[in-house]
Amino acid sequence: MKKIIISLAAVLSLTSARAYAPAASWQLTDKYTVTFAGGGEVGGIFKTLKGTISFDEQHPETSGFVLSIDVASINTGNGLMNTHAKSAEWFDAAKYPVIKFTSKKITKSGAAYTVTGDMEIHGVKKEMTLPFSFKSSGSTGTFSGKFIVNRSDFHIGKPGGDVDENIKLEVTVPVVRK
Amino acid sequence: MLKRLLLLGVTSGVLAGIVALIYQKIYSTSVGADFSSVVTPVSVMISNLIGCMVAAIGYWLLSKWLKSRTEIVFNFILVILSFASMLPVFAAKLPLTINSPELFPGLAIPMHFFPALAWSTLEPLFIKNGE
Repeated sequence: MKKIIISLAAVLSLTSARAYAPAASWQLTDKYTVTFAGGGEVGGIFKTLKGTISFDEQHPETSGFVLSIDVASINTGNGLMNTHAKSAEWFDAAKYPVIKFTSKKITKSGAAYTVTGDMEIHGVKKEMTLPFSFKSSGSTGTFSGKFIVNRSDFHIGKPGGDVDENIKLEVTVPVVRK
Repeated sequence: MLKRLLLLGVTSGVLAGIVALIYQKIYSTSVGADFSSVVTPVSVMISNLIGCMVAAIGYWLLSKWLKSRTEIVFNFILVILSFASMLPVFAAKLPLTINSPELFPGLAIPMHFFPALAWSTLEPLFIKNGE
């Protein structure tokens, strides 16, 4: 009886240790891309992305992201558009220098994942659920996600005009295991 | 007359192209912005040559119509077209791999005046007063 109790205790402790083991940390490589498209000629990239990623494919519930984009790193390919995008009417880069996403919950849905977290743009924080995929190969991997952000939700620019309300974002982040 | 004008067009086009390439080198070195992938030496030389050849043909056509007032009208048109050619530079969308597109007009706009400057510099050598 004593042996059984000890064995059960050992199994339980191992299981619980596995369940709460922190997810592996991944480091962003500089090959990431953050592109956006807002209809017609409106589109470009953000050149600076920083963040911390801990992610376990088998246990996404133990995973978490904190990602931030430097607003001033926006590049539309046109100098006037860049200046305009950084101005007070749009992103107001001087006052709100970063776009930040902090995950709260990650769940697996089929072959992909969804992350729910707080998106903070232009001083407005909003909970969003975003789909993403992860492909790993040894100690490297790539996170990819395509999603839509409604710019009016974050008071970016005036409604209407040449820029679509829904901005399509595409993020690809190659990572290496720390 | 047309032969001399075409010669003036070629010569001023080559001169404008050389000056543009020198300016590009100085600009890139001083501001640290590299636009050599969109403003290539070949495209600079060809666009300057084409600009000056079009000017030569334009001058010849005007001279058939305006006679002695050709030069003053031609100079007005040349300057107006040089100014107008600045607008597409501001609207240009460069490849996203190029950093600091804000600095592109500083390179391209002066270049748009080099054909007119080269033409005006060399014109007295090819066209005599009152011709």
